Amino acid sequence: MENTVGRICAEGFSFFGMTNRLISHEVKNVLAIISETSGLMYELVELSEKGMRLPPDKLRSLSGSMIEDVERANRIIRNMNTFAHSVDDFIREVDIREIVGLMMEVCPLDSALRRTELNLVGGDSRVIYTSPLFLENLLFHVINFSLRHPGPGKKIHISINSNESRTRIALTGLASHITGEFPTRKEALLAEALSAEIAFDTHRGELHMDFPERIEGSPIQSLLPID
Amino acid sequence: MKVLLVDDEEKFVSRLAERLEIRGFEADWTTTSDGALSKVEHNEYNIAVLDVKMPRLSGIDLKKRLEKLAPKMKFVFVSGHGSEEDYDIGIREGASYLIKPFKIETLVEKIKEALSA
Repeated sequence: MENTVGRICAEGFSFFGMTNRLISHEVKNVLAIISETSGLMYELVELSEKGMRLPPDKLRSLSGSMIEDVERANRIIRNMNTFAHSVDDFIREVDIREIVGLMMEVCPLDSALRRTELNLVGGDSRVIYTSPLFLENLLFHVINFSLRHPGPGKKIHISINSNESRTRIALTGLASHITGEFPTRKEALLAEALSAEIAFDTHRGELHMDFPERIEGSPIQSLLPID
Repeated sequence: MKVLLVDDEEKFVSRLAERLEIRGFEADWTTTSDGALSKVEHNEYNIAVLDVKMPRLSGIDLKKRLEKLAPKMKFVFVSGHGSEEDYDIGIREGASYLIKPFKIETLVEKIKEALSA
């Protein structure tokens, strides 16, 4: 039990660090765009002072683009803030749809995953009692795996369905007959920590996870912050 | 001086190209590794500026493919990561390495250094 708790903790730290790296990388990308845009605007103004014609549409387009990029950076930082609050309470009630939405924005921060479209189709807003950090961690790995193994349509659909006893998150549109083990020990350990079940139908290219209304008997229930 | 810029952020790479043009370079750009391979196959460049992290093919792998097409071409890597790992890879690959965001004067300096090496 102690060994399992230790491994889960290590996984949580690793995930938290990795996500922060991804987010900071993306913020730097946006800052680089803003830097190049403002630099270009400055240089165009300088050239206009030397007699070159400065088209107003060009300036309008560049300043509009900067506004978009500031909004993009703001969205990334807002997500980072939401993510950082995941560890405020180790176990609490969470809206599973909100967490799925958050991870759908975080995963494509890895540019290698941007070639595949990710859609949330329908789905209920459902509150469950669980660990937000480990739910995000499991979703990250599952979405990441799906984006790396899309079917020919290059579109992954995520749906959320609930009944009285469980909430199912299903991912469809994966390539069929993917070779290699999934879930790996990592996803299996995370699912166990969340009292969840994870299944992958390699023939149909479908993956789903079932979460209970409340985690019960999970090793992470003993993980409480020091007062 | 012909420069090829490769980065999956279109706004970044297109504006960087425009700024290099203002400084007298002949700058071409693309957002994909396939685009880079095609451009190098059909054109001659003195140097390529590659993003380390890109979809499909990393900047490091792309450099290896481009070197086969244009053995004399020089390289500069750029990345938003700024991790020691990326820096080490850049150095190991014998290329300069810049962390985004950077001043264009620094890039111009690195390009000139690489070309005179």
